[in-house]
Amino acid sequence: MTSAATDPMDGFDTTIHAPNRLRICALLDTAGEAEFSVVQRQLDVSASVLSKHVTVLMEAGYVEQRKAVRDTRQRVWLRLTRQGREAYQAHLTALRTIVGS
Amino acid sequence: METNGHAFRPTPQQARAALADTEQVRASAAALSATPWPRWFAITLALFIAAIPPVYGGLLADPQWLLPGPVWGVIMLVMTAGYLALYGVAAANWRKKTGVALRLDVLPKRAVVPLAIGLPALLLGGPHAFRATGEPLWLFAASAAGAAVSIGFHLTFVRLHRKAS
Repeated sequence: MTSAATDPMDGFDTTIHAPNRLRICALLDTAGEAEFSVVQRQLDVSASVLSKHVTVLMEAGYVEQRKAVRDTRQRVWLRLTRQGREAYQAHLTALRTIVGS
Repeated sequence: METNGHAFRPTPQQARAALADTEQVRASAAALSATPWPRWFAITLALFIAAIPPVYGGLLADPQWLLPGPVWGVIMLVMTAGYLALYGVAAANWRKKTGVALRLDVLPKRAVVPLAIGLPALLLGGPHAFRATGEPLWLFAASAAGAAVSIGFHLTFVRLHRKAS
């Protein structure tokens, strides 16, 4: 979405648009990086559901994970990749275009 | 990557609902990011800021003020190292507690930009005014104002966090 001549609808991304994935992207875009359990709590979804959506986003190259040990337990931290951030912003632009049309 | 805006297009109502949903999540995440520092670190930060003008003033003083210049230099180094160590502990604990990344861009720019310019000017300006006039009141005024700004920002974070939660 760098050119004014580009159709904003080109940014519409069905990978991101699935409700839980859109919410994951919104959370990670705002928080920068968040622990898996925090994302789960914020979205009020089970670990397996979140894991499934995170896998889809990771396969698309939109989310990356980092493992860190805390209190002797391994924690997973999630963050948007640069590509994921751009795709999410482009998707929001497409949604706003639809609302405004 | 499933990017195909023309094959599937939500209605304006669906798009509006999706945007409202993201806004709700964004607000909730922003509340987490605005979690204030623990009180012990807010006090540490205020004390560190309050200590800068007199110590820097002592460093600049010519002739020396209370202590020789190099001693003030050592005091500055020790207190800065101590502050940075405590900052590391506080930041690690903050991340553990909140589960999100520590961000310094949570407050609006209209508040952060004046702080980023005004606080260094205050902390460095006081000692320079002291050096020029020999009047220690400049140091204590800068010290009190710096501590007040630090506490004010902490209380702003507390209010922002409560409001957003």
